[in-house]
Order: sequence, then structure tokens, then C-alpha cells
Amino acid sequence: MRARRRAAHVAIYATLVAATIIMLFPVAWMLTVSVRPNVEVMKIPPDWIPAIFTVEAYSKVLRSSRYLKTFVNTYFVALAVTLVSLGIGAMAAYALARFRFRGQRAVLIFLITTQMFPLVLLCIPYFQVVVTLGLYDTLTSLIIVYVTFTLPFCILMLRSYFAQIPKDMEEAAMVDGCSRVGAILRTLLPLSYPALIGAGLYTFLLAWNEFLFAVVLIEAWDKRVLTTAIYSLLAEFVTDWNTMMAFSVLASAPLVIAFIFLQRYMVRGMTAGAITS
Amino acid sequence: MEQDPRRHEVARSFRRRYRQELQAYGFLWPALLILGVLMVYPLLQVMRMSFYEVTLQKETWVGLDNYAQLLRTSLFWRVLWQTILFTAGSVSLHLVIGLGLALLLHAKINIRFRNLMRGMLIIPWLLAPTVAGMIWVLMLAPFGVANGLLISLGVLDLSVTFNWLGNPDTSLLSVTAMNVWRAFPFFMVMLLAGLQAIPDELYEAADIDGTTPLAKFWYITLPGLRGVIATVVLLDSIWTFRAFDPVYVMTGGGPMNSSEVLATAIYFDAFQKFKFGYASAEAMVMFLILFVVSAVYVRRAVRDIG
Repeated sequence: MRARRRAAHVAIYATLVAATIIMLFPVAWMLTVSVRPNVEVMKIPPDWIPAIFTVEAYSKVLRSSRYLKTFVNTYFVALAVTLVSLGIGAMAAYALARFRFRGQRAVLIFLITTQMFPLVLLCIPYFQVVVTLGLYDTLTSLIIVYVTFTLPFCILMLRSYFAQIPKDMEEAAMVDGCSRVGAILRTLLPLSYPALIGAGLYTFLLAWNEFLFAVVLIEAWDKRVLTTAIYSLLAEFVTDWNTMMAFSVLASAPLVIAFIFLQRYMVRGMTAGAITS
Repeated sequence: MEQDPRRHEVARSFRRRYRQELQAYGFLWPALLILGVLMVYPLLQVMRMSFYEVTLQKETWVGLDNYAQLLRTSLFWRVLWQTILFTAGSVSLHLVIGLGLALLLHAKINIRFRNLMRGMLIIPWLLAPTVAGMIWVLMLAPFGVANGLLISLGVLDLSVTFNWLGNPDTSLLSVTAMNVWRAFPFFMVMLLAGLQAIPDELYEAADIDGTTPLAKFWYITLPGLRGVIATVVLLDSIWTFRAFDPVYVMTGGGPMNSSEVLATAIYFDAFQKFKFGYASAEAMVMFLILFVVSAVYVRRAVRDIG
């Protein structure tokens, strides 16, 4: 009996390790190709381990001001989207968590429904409006557009967290002479930091990885973001695989590193959206 | 008129309720304004354009012509069918892989080992679909590792390398495989959270009765996960059905439309062929299909939120 349980235990560990190796193979492949010279990439059959190690591809990406600009652009857009979504989202979430008012149910249904929207549908009118307003090829247009799909998520996630925090704290602060906004800033927001980090990270991830609107609304190279820059590499320089993989590694690294340190909050953010009970 | 004390009471409670609304909408208006302007207006605009022939210069009213043309086009039906295949394939494999891994992670194993494995398995989900798609383009290329693996296994000959993305028979399959790989962690994490929410007492009681592991899975685990499974399957179906990036990056819908899905078809009709009216009609059909599926999800979600 004990031996059987032990065997089952070992089997679980072994299966998990095997599954992780298989699932991480594409990521590992990206890493090894990024440190190969390009001639070696095209070899048939491929070398499993690079024969020559070189950081040539990385230096090519990091020395190009054009590519570096896309990193700056992406950081700017993702950070701006995160701040705007969290700010406006926290306000709306507070209203939904603390007040009972007419239209509340309609607002909730509206928020959930907007998350189901086919985004490609929005592209056509956005393109026309952005061109009309002279915002084509600006990062501002991207920030505005991204907020439309990150905001509903932020509101719903923060709402469910705020609702779990007792009202007493804010009421006590208000009795002590704080305004309502002062009470929120001093009691509710500090208590909700896990939800704020979780929602913020997820928003950052969505904005960082977005592709469709960046294709439709941005053309100029100095306004491109990482996803569109990577895609243009694929379309324009079909054979430069080591550069593409080095670029991909650099583009994914910030998210993976942030995730390693903030895994707890991130997992919370993933699950909070759908598990409400 | 004589004073009715109840009436006074009603007026006061009315004012109190009104104050709640004023306060609530005082916090809500920026969000509602943004979403109203950026979601409701474009939807109405697309609805309107679907009845027009739209060129860059002018719009001409054509009534239902765009819709009629759409429904007569065999390519549209093929693309719709391919979108359904792509969605069904992705979602069902997400569920199988996600549930399998969640069960393994939920077994009684070292907590630090579990967190490490969970963390590593989430990585594919962090990558941009663009990046993930590109890695798979490289792996599936004629000189790529997929063929390399098949050669070392003796399945393929060195002289005949297979072009997975360039072959109409395997292009959609390849894109689906990439999408399965990229998004399974979402299911894994959600189902693991669902498993952790099932009370241990149920399993302990079953142990006392000497229930087999399979019976425990069937009668305790699956019913306990029903709500989470329904939620993630619905959400994933909606997200996959509207997905654009994987197909656009990996195949551009080709070769010969063999991997085209609705989102890419709408994009190409609008931004390459500049048939904005026709693309709007296509987008409306997609919206209506999603709306029906969403209605199921929204009803569940609103009931949970209360």
C-alpha cells in the first residue's frame, strides 16, 4: 500500500516535470535560436544545441535606435493605459461596490458585455475617427483605444475586491473628519493593494501584447510598438531569424520578470475575473 | 390637504435614494462616458455602414445588399466554418490539457515545487500572440525543429521537408496547435483555483466509504468544477472566436484562405480591399453570433455577482 502510494507520488512528479519540459520547449527554442549565427538556423536537420554561441543578434537589436524606440513606445503606452484604467476603474468600482442605485444592474451587464465585443468590429470606425481627428500614427490613439478593453476588466475585478472590505473603516475615517475621497484614499485603497497590483499587471500585459489596433492605427516606424515591430521583421526580413528571436526574448523579458516577482497577484488577477463566488 | 405622515416618510426616503444615485454616478461617469463614446458609438456606426457601400470618398445606401452578398459568398461560409473548427479545437484541447495539469498540480506535492511548476507553465500565456506565433512559424518552417524531430524519429525523409504553414491541409491545424499551446495556462490556473475551492471533507468522507479514485473524480471533482468549467469554456470560446493575431501573424489566412478566420477576413476586406460596407456587414454577423454566446455568459456572470 505504502509502496504503491510512493510510486504514484513519483509518477506525479515525473509527469509534471515532463509536461513542463514539453510546454517550455518553444520558449527554450526561442532562446537558443537567439544566440546562434543566422546560417546555423537554416540547417537541416537542426542542431538541438547551438554549435556556435554568439550575441550578435542581441547587439543588432540593442544598437538599432529604431528598435529601441519601439521599447520606449510600448512602455509609455502600457504604463499610461494601466494608470488611466486603474484610476478611472477604481472610481467606478467604488460606486458599484458601495452604493445601491438605479441602473446598477444595467451598468454591470453593460460592463460584462463589453468584454465580449469582437474587437475587429471596432477597428473600422476607430480607423475612420482617428484619421478624421488627425490622431493617425500617434500613441495617444492607441492609449485611448486600449483603455476601452482594459477598463471593464479593471472595474469588475476591483469591484469584487472592494465589496469584500468592510465599510466600517471608511465610515470611521469619515467620522474622524475625512471627506469621502480622503477616506477612500486613506483606508480602502491601501487595503486593496493586492487587487490593484493584480488588475494593474493584467492591464499592463494586455496593453503590452496588443497587436490588432497597433496594426490598424500606426504606420510610422518611430511610433510602432513591440508587437508590430516584431511582425514587420517577420514580413520584411524573412530570413533574419536570430534577430527576430532576440527581439522576441527582449520583448517578453519584462513581463516574465515582473511575473516571477508578482506571481501571487497575477494569478489572483487571472482568477478574479471569472470566479466570483 | 391633510398631512400624511407616511407621505413625508416616502419623500424623505426618496431623497435618500436620489442621493445614493447622485453619489454613485459621480464616481461612475468617467468610465461610462469613455465606454459609451468608444464602444456604443462605433457599434452604431458599423451597424449603419453595413447598409451602405462605403468608399473613401462617398457612401451610397444599398439596403441589405451587403448582407445578401455575404450570405451568397461561399468563401464566407467556409471562413465561418474554419472559425468554428479553430474555436472548437482550441477550447476542447485547452480544457483537456488545462484540467490534466490542474489535477497534477492539485495532488499532494511539495508546495514550493507546485508553485515553481505552475509559474513555469504559465509562461506561454505571458507571451504576446505575435511572439508566440513567430516562434511557431520558425519551428514549423521547412527547416524547423518540427521536421527535424520527425526526421530523427524516422517519419520524414531528409529530402522531403514538410511545409506545415504553406500547405492548405495543415495550415489551420498548425495555427490551432499554436493557439492551444499559448492559452492553456489560463484554463490550468482557473481550474486549479476551482479544485482548491472544493472542500476536503467531501474527499475524506469518500475515503472512509472506500470510494475508488475514478469515482471520486466523477462524483466529487467534476461536479465541484462545473461552474468554473462552464465559465472558462464560454469565455475562451468567445475570445478564440474573435481572435485575430494568431492567424494574421502565422499565415495571413492563407494559403488560399485555408486558415482564414472571421476576424482576419473582416480585416482584409476592410483594410486591403477597402470594402468597408461589406466588412461592416461581416462584422455585424460576427457580433450577432458572439452576442448569442455572450448572453449565456452574461446571464451566468450577473447571477454570480448578484
